[in-house]
Amino acid sequence: MLTIYRRLLWLYPKTYRREFQEEMAEVLGQLHADSANAGPAARIQFYVREGAGLLAGALRENWRQSLTRRFTVRNEFRFPKATWILMTIILAGVIVAIEKGEAIVASVPHIGEPVGPIHSGDHSLLVGIIGSFVVIYALGLLAWGIVYAMRRSEVH
Amino acid sequence: METMPLTEPVLMILLSLAEQPRHGYSILKDVEEMSAGRVVLSTGTLYGALRRLLDDDWIERLEQKDISRGKQSYRLTQRGRKNLQFEVNRLKHLTKLAHLRIAWKES
Repeated sequence: MLTIYRRLLWLYPKTYRREFQEEMAEVLGQLHADSANAGPAARIQFYVREGAGLLAGALRENWRQSLTRRFTVRNEFRFPKATWILMTIILAGVIVAIEKGEAIVASVPHIGEPVGPIHSGDHSLLVGIIGSFVVIYALGLLAWGIVYAMRRSEVH
Repeated sequence: METMPLTEPVLMILLSLAEQPRHGYSILKDVEEMSAGRVVLSTGTLYGALRRLLDDDWIERLEQKDISRGKQSYRLTQRGRKNLQFEVNRLKHLTKLAHLRIAWKES
């Protein structure tokens, strides 16, 4: 039983284990030795109390560590190089699109004339806008994926 | 000094360390004795509280030579003692108030 309880210590985060595992194992051993002289009811109480305490403690410490890590990442957050490259590519794409648009406008005759009704079959503008959004979102998702992967690998 | 009201286990741990430096097992036994068996801390609860108190600089590890990690002792820092005193004063005030209110109701 004591071995199982010692194994439960592995549920704690690594940094916590490094600091307290040895002490906790020693105290558990001493308490276990005390409970050996006690009656069965007291022994059951000991097992339940220690089991619940270890599980609750492990849960609390893991939660605390994940929160601390999240806030630390936010505080020290820097955009990775890949994001800057992606942002530059997106910006270049936008500039090229604007230039292309201007070229199309310049090449169309009678630009001052009122624009006629858009035929229902002509969806190229709508498709273009949706396509642009899809591309931008895909790039954003890719950038987020890169940042997330770097966070997971603790580069930051 | 303003602090949040302490939980009973934390208050008991601080009271145990107020008397003298102690290691984990000794704290558990002292808390049990102080509360006449009412408060029995588990190892997980004790070390969770000790970790928080160490982080907040309320307690510190006692430098000891030739002592295994398992017998690491802790003691109150100046800050921990001040905060404990603050909490005891708060409880005193609360108890006094409670006595007055109960006495007023009875009269």
